[in-house]
Amino acid sequence: MSIVGVGHRRLEGAEKVSGATRFTDDVDLPGLLHVQLVLSHQASANIRGIDLDAARSAPGVIDIVTGADLPSVNAPSPEKPLAVGRVFYVGQPVVAVIAESQSAAADAAALVDVDYEPLSITVDPVLAMRDGAGRVLDADEEADAADASMHGAGTDSETNGATPRRPANVSSVVNLKRGDTDAALKSADAVVKATYSLAGVHHSPMEPHVSMVRPEPDGGMTVWAPTQGPFHVRDEVAKVLGIPTYKVRVVPMAVGGGFGGKVTLLETLLVLLARRTGRALRLNLTRQQVFAVARSAPAASFDIELGAKRDGTLVALRARFHYDNGATAGWHGGITGMFLTGTYQCPNFEITGYEVSTNKTPVEAYRAPGAPQAYFALESALDELALQLKMDPIELRLRNATREGDPGPDGKPLPRIAMIECLEEAQKHPLYTKPCVEGEGVGIALGSWGGARTPASAGCRVEPDGTLTVHVGTVDVSGSSTGLAMIAAESFGVPLDKVRIETSDTGVAPFGPLAAGSQVTYSMGGAVQEAALEARRQLLEIATNELEAAPEDLEIVDGRVTVRGVPGRFVEVTKLVAMSTEFMGKYRPIQATGRSAVQAASPMFTVHIARVRTDAETGEFQLTGYAAIQDVGRAINPPEAMGQIHGGVVQGLGRAFGEQLAYNVDGQLRTSSFLDYELPTADQLPDIDVKLIEVASAVGPLGAKGVGEPPAVPGPAAISNALARATGIRVRDLPLDRSAFVRR
Amino acid sequence: MKPAQFEYDDPQTEDEALDLLARHGDDCKVIAGGQSLVPLMNFRLARPARLIDINRIDSLSYIRREEGRLVIGAMARHTHLEHAEEVAQGWPLLTEAVGWVGHAQIRNRGTIGGSVAHADPAAELPAAFAALDAKFQLRSKRGSRTVSWDEFFVSEFTTALAPDELVAAVEVPALDPGTGTAFVEYARRHGDFALGGAAAIVKLGRDGRCERATIALLSAGPAPVRAKAAEQQLRGAKLDDSSIRAASAEAVRGLRPTSDLHGSTEYRIGLLRTMTERALTKAAQRAASSTS
Repeated sequence: MSIVGVGHRRLEGAEKVSGATRFTDDVDLPGLLHVQLVLSHQASANIRGIDLDAARSAPGVIDIVTGADLPSVNAPSPEKPLAVGRVFYVGQPVVAVIAESQSAAADAAALVDVDYEPLSITVDPVLAMRDGAGRVLDADEEADAADASMHGAGTDSETNGATPRRPANVSSVVNLKRGDTDAALKSADAVVKATYSLAGVHHSPMEPHVSMVRPEPDGGMTVWAPTQGPFHVRDEVAKVLGIPTYKVRVVPMAVGGGFGGKVTLLETLLVLLARRTGRALRLNLTRQQVFAVARSAPAASFDIELGAKRDGTLVALRARFHYDNGATAGWHGGITGMFLTGTYQCPNFEITGYEVSTNKTPVEAYRAPGAPQAYFALESALDELALQLKMDPIELRLRNATREGDPGPDGKPLPRIAMIECLEEAQKHPLYTKPCVEGEGVGIALGSWGGARTPASAGCRVEPDGTLTVHVGTVDVSGSSTGLAMIAAESFGVPLDKVRIETSDTGVAPFGPLAAGSQVTYSMGGAVQEAALEARRQLLEIATNELEAAPEDLEIVDGRVTVRGVPGRFVEVTKLVAMSTEFMGKYRPIQATGRSAVQAASPMFTVHIARVRTDAETGEFQLTGYAAIQDVGRAINPPEAMGQIHGGVVQGLGRAFGEQLAYNVDGQLRTSSFLDYELPTADQLPDIDVKLIEVASAVGPLGAKGVGEPPAVPGPAAISNALARATGIRVRDLPLDRSAFVRR
Repeated sequence: MKPAQFEYDDPQTEDEALDLLARHGDDCKVIAGGQSLVPLMNFRLARPARLIDINRIDSLSYIRREEGRLVIGAMARHTHLEHAEEVAQGWPLLTEAVGWVGHAQIRNRGTIGGSVAHADPAAELPAAFAALDAKFQLRSKRGSRTVSWDEFFVSEFTTALAPDELVAAVEVPALDPGTGTAFVEYARRHGDFALGGAAAIVKLGRDGRCERATIALLSAGPAPVRAKAAEQQLRGAKLDDSSIRAASAEAVRGLRPTSDLHGSTEYRIGLLRTMTERALTKAAQRAASSTS
């Protein structure tokens, strides 16, 4: 039976597109109360006092809670469930109002009066690093974060043993060094020296953040949340409540868009409030609150010097960059350093990355964290280098590409990768080869993602009607459950419509990894496969006895176990299941477990091709063609992989088109609604041509690699490179300023 | 979020509505399509104590010709204007302008009276009405009055409408034969507020020279802007690239559109100039083909 590799519709697709899916906000509980947050409107201030009198007497109010009312939680000050004594960013939760209805809670919250004593504000990360800049985080919280100097350093890389004194508000510094960059840049035939920057952007999930909790009679807590990591939420809730993990049950709900931003956000606060009131509570954020409270992706800036010989061979890369992490210690720099140094062969490099804290909403992982930033800088600089050298940009990349056996981004020898295949496919793609019309330009950029992996398990049960239920503890944020069902169906020997993936709550689900890092199919595929094969083995064991035939002579066809080559000898699967569950029966029930722990990552590569034309008077550009070429190892469900790539491309291009978290000097977010925060729309996009490259992974299930993150990486550089070639104008800051392209 | 609490009335007739306005004028808001008001209320940027819902007043919902003029009832929806055959025939500028308003769902609910009363300087219809020298019928218990567009639009979101008054209708004079019109704007995404836009009306004489030119700009200032000097400059001129370029440069002279995240003042001035050029060029072409 051939199911894997053949296109199938998403199992939950119909309910999603028809609006039938039940999200967390659609679920009701008897006696449910509603929580509304009062958010700080100051970027940095002491809380002198909070007047709750008016709010307390508002109709429907049950309880009003401040940071001082909650038990102490072990978290950095800006990350306490409610602010204690001081606020560090606009949007920080200060007070929680609990009321009979959402409207009552909102009305009462508007009556809360917080008296702030404003402190000095640090908004610009460059100014934040200067001597004498106001401190964003307490010194001890900053010092807790160790320098990430060794993050991803290659085996033959050296780190600066003695880290130089950290600038103000820098929580850690990434230092990667190999060879003599100074000398190499001096002797280079061509050098690109430029600064590239990217604005902070938000995940902007369609479903705003929401969570619902209910205290249980045994002192435990049940949590309903659209989380990417139910086990992660369970552990965090158990820790904050100081109860055993078995007393916490997290029910994973449909995730209306996560992209890294929906692991845990509101749960710690909600369970503390619920324990206090003893009532079931729900908190759902408005879109404006999502922008203010729910952590976003950091802004970044890169000073690059990239040198090459006349033939295009790279000789040195110097990069000095910083991340603007808001009111937290950052961690993107290590990953970024790996991509800068591990993508192309470059004998000399000197990378310094600063994690800067400012008075803004703390940052979080967002689809390929650290990669869109690294590759916008690197792939733009390479394009500038190609122009200087008058060299084909793909040729330049092919000349310097890393190959199997070269040290990879993590310093270890690379396995078989498909970087070359992607570049060569791009080289012959019609969007690349076809001549440009007047005013048109074509640009390319490469991106990659290392890929996460986590041990995983799955359960498999054969139901009385002969269908298969596969139990998993990992949620579906991408259509991954359809792929897992396809693996189970093919492994067991039933059609896809006989398989159901049951994402269970943490009380019963087999352990499964976080739905993040492009790892669900990669990590879970093997466990599901093993569970389905084991269930099949258990079924055939019973059939062997009933049919008096060796297991290797049996096959499952159309709901029957038959003896191969003996048409009359069969037994219905349903009968076997019945025998294994009947009263006084003699066979053991079919209940299989599968486990996997993939031993290595399978780095993923992609190349994007963008074609653009501009309107010289308005500066507006229009994509006239777009292609994404991506190595997926093996596409379990090809249309699903392509859909992931479509979505990723658009999400990546949003950074170029207009998405930005723009702050004013007071640390107020100027783009806190979809009116000002410009998500890309269909009228800005051409058809996206997706070309899947399948260079099988030696370790991933059925040869699969991750899919979700790479497509969000190269878009901004591809479009900016195309614009530079169409107009001769190079814009090095995202989002792209249209006025830069005006020529009158 | 949902709006703060408010009182609600749903008058069935214009007289009932005017009674309510006379009584509550100062602390109430009239709600028609709600496409601007409801978002403001849900953001709690607007907290009217009372809403007077005029959706049930059928007598305000019409589009008709009266003595050559087009008269649009305040409760006519954008979508009615967009698809009215007589509007497309006689006032194609309105048909073209209304297509730029938001998205289909918004045009299905949004009303002409609401757009006028809201007076957003980036809105399409106020600029189109300015180009067409429209007048607005205002009614209150005290009586009726008709004011021209330039008396009506005072500033951003500010009009000459008294607290007890209701916009009842828009009157649009007929266009002469041989007239061409065009409406263009620039927004980065369809449905966004325009960063700059222009409405143009051009009438050509038998000799091919411009007899009348009208230019109205949106997102150019606190209210719709009529570029009178540029209009004057084109009168009697031969409309070609050079005269249109010169008039468009004149049209934006002295304008200071507000700089914001989406565009600097300088960039916006350039956009307005380009939009004016494009609107005039299109209108002139249409005028020429209607006379030939």
